[in-house]
Amino acid sequence: MSDEKKTAKENILEFISMDNIKNQVMKNAYGNTDTPIAKIDPRVLMVWYLFFAIVPWFVNDVIFLLGAFFLVLFTTIQAKVTTLVIFLFALGVFSQTGWLLILTFVFGGDGSAIIPLLILTLKVSTVSLASITVFSGMDPDNLAKGLMWMNFPGRMSFSISYAYRILPTLISEFQNILLSYRMRGLAPKSDTFKGKIKYVIYQIRIIMDSFYPLLLNTAKRSRTTVEALEMKGYTYASADDNAKKLKLSTLKIGANDLLFVTFSLLWLSITNLISTLI
Amino acid sequence: MKAINVSFKYPACQDNVLKNINLSVKPGDFVAIVGNNGSGKSTLCKAFNGLIPKSIAGRFEGQIIIDGQDIVDLTVGQVAKKVGYVYQDFENQIVRPKVLDDASYACLNYGMVDYLERGEKALKQVKLDDKKDENVWELSGGQTHLLALAGALSLSPDILILDEPIAQLDPLRADIIYEILKELNQKYKKTIVVIEHSTEYIAQYCNRVILMKDGQILWDEETKKALQMVDDLIDSDIFPPQVTRAAKKAMDKGDLKQGLLPINLHEGYEMFRFFSYKPKKRKLLKKNENESIIAIKNVTMAYKTIHDEANVIFSDLNLDIKRGEKIALIGSNGSGKSTLLKMLVGLVKPLKGDIIIEDKSIKDMKIDQLARTISLVYQNPEQMFIMDSIENDISFSSRVRNIEGWEEKLENLIKRFSLTDLRKRDGRLLSGGQMRRASLAIGTALDPKILLLDEPTSNLDIKTRKEVMKLLTEIKDYTETVIIATHDMQLVCEWAERVIVLHQGQVEADGFRDEIFANSEVLEKVGIRPPQIFHLAKSLNKEALVYTIDDFLKDFEVDYER
Repeated sequence: MSDEKKTAKENILEFISMDNIKNQVMKNAYGNTDTPIAKIDPRVLMVWYLFFAIVPWFVNDVIFLLGAFFLVLFTTIQAKVTTLVIFLFALGVFSQTGWLLILTFVFGGDGSAIIPLLILTLKVSTVSLASITVFSGMDPDNLAKGLMWMNFPGRMSFSISYAYRILPTLISEFQNILLSYRMRGLAPKSDTFKGKIKYVIYQIRIIMDSFYPLLLNTAKRSRTTVEALEMKGYTYASADDNAKKLKLSTLKIGANDLLFVTFSLLWLSITNLISTLI
Repeated sequence: MKAINVSFKYPACQDNVLKNINLSVKPGDFVAIVGNNGSGKSTLCKAFNGLIPKSIAGRFEGQIIIDGQDIVDLTVGQVAKKVGYVYQDFENQIVRPKVLDDASYACLNYGMVDYLERGEKALKQVKLDDKKDENVWELSGGQTHLLALAGALSLSPDILILDEPIAQLDPLRADIIYEILKELNQKYKKTIVVIEHSTEYIAQYCNRVILMKDGQILWDEETKKALQMVDDLIDSDIFPPQVTRAAKKAMDKGDLKQGLLPINLHEGYEMFRFFSYKPKKRKLLKKNENESIIAIKNVTMAYKTIHDEANVIFSDLNLDIKRGEKIALIGSNGSGKSTLLKMLVGLVKPLKGDIIIEDKSIKDMKIDQLARTISLVYQNPEQMFIMDSIENDISFSSRVRNIEGWEEKLENLIKRFSLTDLRKRDGRLLSGGQMRRASLAIGTALDPKILLLDEPTSNLDIKTRKEVMKLLTEIKDYTETVIIATHDMQLVCEWAERVIVLHQGQVEADGFRDEIFANSEVLEKVGIRPPQIFHLAKSLNKEALVYTIDDFLKDFEVDYER
């Protein structure tokens, strides 16, 4: 029994370890370029996303919402989203409405209370999962192209892809700074319960403290980056439409994209049909 | 490319950084600009790529002509198509997540329809075409530099300027960079300008050398002639190749006739051909018989990649380190040196096996407990500055531990590492050498019994390097056991008592300096390059093991009979 308990504790510790979180973030950002979702044309995905981000809010039909929910659940699985994101999603939904739903169940609430809560939870989940599919499942470059196509300012799509470029550097630098604190600092003893709480507070504090040196180091670095961007014609391109046209000219809608759209439409029509029949 | 009477002053500075510079670079040149820190080398190069005066404010006088056009009449973009620039901190020049994406980014921005082909062509020129779909952070340091070069090349400029291209690389990777530059120069007819400290590379690759001092050009000569001016160069903290310095000393002593100094191994051999090897007795190092202070037992260590594959760094590694040893840990980039150091301070945990420090397994100890026994100084000192001033950084670990008399200890450390004038400054704003000194002070603040140093001499100019070397020698006296991970062979030869060679996660060789360097098989396999003087001695006599110029001149004597 105690053995099992230890492994469970170790598992949790491993899950929240800096290395694992880093690995998960990196996997989420860079590790899913060959999934079916990543291969779909960004413009198609954007329109698809707009539908699932808006429509569920205006529909109250449980069957239709369930249908939509299962569809985005399916696409999320297809996008091979990492456990960390799923965990955050679950935490998010639960903290929004899920806990109310569960409480109502436990205390024997009747249909009149459960149905509206179920609808709300379904709406939140559908919209969140659709966002996860698109933003986490898409290749960063495709995401930038999609935003560009929707006429978001060039700076925004550049910022997104630059974030992808700089993220690994920032994470490893952050980790090193944090390790400096851990080596040179002195953590409170964690033998007693009070000590354990102090220990957790200490860990959170050094995580927050580590951001300050990180920001300063980043600021120092940015000088070269700004000069390099200037030479690479970043300013020039923001005043000139050619670059954008060139970039978007690589986009092509293929059979896969049509299949994806047809399947989504068909699925929604069927659920709609079922819901009118019942 | 021409500069006519160019002067430049940064807004906050009193003096001009560049004073009346006149210079012309001809098409096809491979020029090295040398000079000590603050002599204006980088500023001059930034004037040539149009960043000065366009993007960097200051008072600019004179004229810069590129390809017959005054640079003032060109936009930064137009200049970028004529002059490519690779920064010293080149990794900050990479702005896109994927390799090909970054290489073609400039072409895309300037609206060139064939931007992808241009990017691919540039990648081919630097031999990076097989990496085009990779993420930029998956590249090694050398490859990242080549990518920055490809980004500049994609606009097919005729001139390339590189600021200290090999400062952070091991010799094998440095060779790759220079071979590529040579090909760009000869096959693709690019004009190349490098800022470089390493005179051995200058002797091998450049045809001209420009020496700068205090914002002025002291002289501008052909390489062979330039490297003869040993005194001028040393005055500016530039050290001519070891063969050149050895020959100069021999001439001054009268062992050699005055004449042209050799600048490479071949010429050195010709000059010293008639010297014979009469080794002098040196104090032999005794094998350290102390008890073990660190024992690494069957350690296996692996990182998880983002594709959930295990990237094995060590499998079944065993190593025993005795109290009081001064060890150099060598091996090419990626051989596991840094990981080993991080494992010893408990920052990364081995998957299997155990590490025993002073008879205690580090599994049972917290990082902050371990810190009193063993301390690590990072390769990048910036990541050690967590407070707002050097003195707070140094005293941080003693203060949180309530160590008595920490004020006094702080004063000692500040004196020992000559940081008195800098004590109130923020560590991040110091120069490279100052940062390194401060990081050593931070690392020794708790008087650890074991000190680990990761590449303490990388990225430093020769003068600062000497300073750091001196500190490292002093550290021997007050820190019992020291391990340095490095690919600076001069440091290894002059400092270490025991040398451990890591190769692909295994101990490839382990022993005294002579045991390692006499084993040419290991040197070849791992890619270790001993100092030039060592090669010179070997070429004169196969048995010779000589590491410094002074030893060389003692062990080799003029043989009048031959």
